[in-house]
Amino acid sequence: MITGTGVVKTFKQRGKVLGAREVRALRGVDFAIPKGGAASFIGESGCGKTTLGRIIAGLEAYDEGEVAIDGVSMSALKPKHRQPHFRKIQMIHQDPYSALNPTRTIHQTLHAPLTLRAGQTGRPRSWVDERAAEVLSLVGLDPGTVLSRYPHQLSGGMRQRVVIARALTVDPEMLVADEAVSMIDVSLRLGILSLLKDLRERLGVSVLFITHDVATARYIGGDGELYVIYRGQVVERGAVDTIIADPVHPYTQSLLSAIPVLHGLEQPSEQPVVPLESLDESRFDDGCLFARRCPFRGERCAEERPLLQITEGVPQEHACFYPERRSVIARPMSEV
Amino acid sequence: MSEKAPGVRIGGLTVVYKTPAGELPAVRDVTLTLEPGSITGIVGESGSGKSTLALSLLNAVQPPGRIAAGSVEIDGLGDVVGLAGERLRKARGRHIGYVFQAAQNSLNPLKTVGKQLLDLGRSHGVEDLRGLVREAKELLSRMGLDGARVLDSHQHELSGGMRQRVGIMLALVLNAHLVVLDEPTTALDMITQANILKIVREVHAERGLTTLVITHDIGVVAEVADRLAVMYGGRLVEQGPTREVLGSPRHPYTRGLIRAIPRLVGDIDEAQALPGRPPTLVTVPKQGCVFRERCPLRMDVCDDVDPEAVAYGPRTVACHAVTVKEHA
Amino acid sequence: MSVLLESASTSAAMRRNFWAGVWRVMKRKPSRMVGVVLVAGFAFMGLFGPMFYPAQLPLDPTQITRPPSWEHWLGTDDQGRDVIALVVTGSRYVLLAALVTAVITVVLGTAVGLFSGFKRGRWDTVLMRITDMKLTIPGLPLLLVLSTVWKFSSAVQMGLVLGLLSWGGVARAVRSQTLSLRERGFIEAARGLGLSTTHIVGKELLPSMAPYIAMNMLIAITGGVYAQVGLFFLGVLPYESNNWGQMLNTAVFRSGALTVPSALGFLIGPLLAILLLTLAIVLVVDAMDEIFNPRLREE
Repeated sequence: MITGTGVVKTFKQRGKVLGAREVRALRGVDFAIPKGGAASFIGESGCGKTTLGRIIAGLEAYDEGEVAIDGVSMSALKPKHRQPHFRKIQMIHQDPYSALNPTRTIHQTLHAPLTLRAGQTGRPRSWVDERAAEVLSLVGLDPGTVLSRYPHQLSGGMRQRVVIARALTVDPEMLVADEAVSMIDVSLRLGILSLLKDLRERLGVSVLFITHDVATARYIGGDGELYVIYRGQVVERGAVDTIIADPVHPYTQSLLSAIPVLHGLEQPSEQPVVPLESLDESRFDDGCLFARRCPFRGERCAEERPLLQITEGVPQEHACFYPERRSVIARPMSEV
Repeated sequence: MSEKAPGVRIGGLTVVYKTPAGELPAVRDVTLTLEPGSITGIVGESGSGKSTLALSLLNAVQPPGRIAAGSVEIDGLGDVVGLAGERLRKARGRHIGYVFQAAQNSLNPLKTVGKQLLDLGRSHGVEDLRGLVREAKELLSRMGLDGARVLDSHQHELSGGMRQRVGIMLALVLNAHLVVLDEPTTALDMITQANILKIVREVHAERGLTTLVITHDIGVVAEVADRLAVMYGGRLVEQGPTREVLGSPRHPYTRGLIRAIPRLVGDIDEAQALPGRPPTLVTVPKQGCVFRERCPLRMDVCDDVDPEAVAYGPRTVACHAVTVKEHA
Repeated sequence: MSVLLESASTSAAMRRNFWAGVWRVMKRKPSRMVGVVLVAGFAFMGLFGPMFYPAQLPLDPTQITRPPSWEHWLGTDDQGRDVIALVVTGSRYVLLAALVTAVITVVLGTAVGLFSGFKRGRWDTVLMRITDMKLTIPGLPLLLVLSTVWKFSSAVQMGLVLGLLSWGGVARAVRSQTLSLRERGFIEAARGLGLSTTHIVGKELLPSMAPYIAMNMLIAITGGVYAQVGLFFLGVLPYESNNWGQMLNTAVFRSGALTVPSALGFLIGPLLAILLLTLAIVLVVDAMDEIFNPRLREE
């Protein structure tokens, strides 16, 4: 179980002595990802979803709030004592081309963390080679052909599988997949996604999926929670299918409206939500962060910032003063 | 603005690349017609030859690649394959506007957009530079940007979506009526993508263009294109009206590709992965069907004979299995 | 089982593959082979060359400052000694000093750059300020001052001083490489997996920079040669044994090689040696990128 409460992260732009600009990447985010469960963060680039993922994987420090892994608070620990806890959370990077060291063979890449793991768990050295073959088989690769290869000799899809195998060498409890398929050929994407889904079922690893593509989030973590993040704030949170079918926050609605419609297979929604203007992060907002772009804004929105809350008659949490269900996604022809 | 949208007829086009293993075809025997005033989308994965095909439209395939056979007839220009030197340079920009892949990064970081616009005008011998700037501002404001401000900006001052729109403006400002957009929305956010696609559709209609969109994302084509062409391993495997191809795909690759898209509603497990992986220039089969290794309908004939594109009304499909079924 | 057997012998096989790859890279361009042969020749000359000549080269008072002839291919010096013999016997000091310079430059520069770039923060600031300070010290004037108190009689001393003066540039360059590499996915993954800093620096970072470091090393050798030859040529350092710089000095200032044609061979001898050495190194540097990049090596 990995939980976070009120996580805040601010990036300071370096270089300028006077008037250094601060970028609020996260403005107090709560999350909870149960063991073996799934969660998805969606939002536009720069919304803070990647920063949050990196904080959860221990690759980035946070300024305020609390992250706890299996009940152990990370803030209370000294940085060097956090590593054994963050080991349980492994990151799958977006770019399988830079995630593997081009000068090392797959065998060498897997050998190093496995040797470390063998030392930690008191296993014999012979276990290392056995396990290397095992994790490769787990991700659907043939150890005999892959082990002696260099990364450049593998295709993008195979590389991403190796990256997942490497993460599995340290027996993680959770995988953080940050846009893990966006750089992979379309016909191979689903293979990687179903592998992650499969690992959830077989090994009980939980998966945190970070993406801008709601459909892939649903594919992996359909039974989990969806967090819609906008400018460092969670604006809607709840069961994936609930939010897809009946989003209440206008930002979620515009995000879902923007998904391309497969004309010929799908019937577009009659009431798509389109933001009034494009995102301008340089502007300061006192009230709701989405108010300037929101077609449904009311008087309260400019003055007061809505916080994530539960209101009557809405199954999911949301941060909107005027929540209203709107069905914005395209429907399959067969249903219409 | 008396010119009208040109038609394009690509006939038997083959583009080869020189490699240590000899000359290998990146595009092989592709025949495709872009109707005047239509938006055509070409979908393919990496190595399918879609970008090479698009570059052939400008006769801009760079060595070690070369156009080995075929023709690209553009109304008002003739066969582009035969053009060279100054005439070719003038044709690019004047007749054909090209919005490059990752247009976000194709601007010169050291010059303002306005300076680059003037450079473009001068290199094409535009006399009325004031008129050019006026036209650029008009286009930009049509796309929802503040023209004067954008022309005064450097690349780093513009967001990804704004740069993409600047790219479209630079492709159209010389009054080109044939526009090629290579991966117009890659690396853009969903909302920005939807916005850009809307602009592409509207500008296309208002200015009377013939548009070609190259992408790996079926969703993008589904949103904008009238016709859809699917490429695989350098071959055009299926083409037809977008709705028809998406609604009832015939080629096993098209079917597999559409089935591999996770959906927002319905049974999650309906999405099925395509087995195998796309071929590269080196691994693509030299004879027979390029898709047979991954094909569920593979027959003996597929190993030796490259299937011909057979027309079924407005559609063409290049697959032995489909041909057999249709004639049965 | 086959997997187990294979991986047990992997490291030995890999080493074999590496050298096979190096051979392939070298064969790709004849110029590289020429470079390798020349470098080997210089190494041989420095190591064994002086053994072929007596400690005191024979003087021939009848053959003073002669132009090239069949007997003396590059002529003789002002004491009637064969110029080729002088170049060969003088090579050991020059090459050894240059090698020591290069090793110190690269080892010190890489160590400081890696540490600084990997640790960042306070260590980085302190080390880089020291590097900057070092970079602002003008080398030649300092050497001139140093030479008044120190005679540099051994090549190792010479190399040591030159090396200590020239690591700054490498440190800066390696640091910036480290900074960019440490943002790469594989370094981040290594940290996430809990691999030790020694492993990350030694096995992940260093090999990625190997071509860069190797190139710097080779170029530092030429730098070392130029620096000492320059010092001796200017006559700042008193010399006790033959070396190329001293030969140039004598040729120009004592025999007037710039005006007297018969002394030309005396001038050309050491110049040719320096030129060939530089050429050899430039030709070999060309192959470094391909040797250390597995993709380019295998192709």
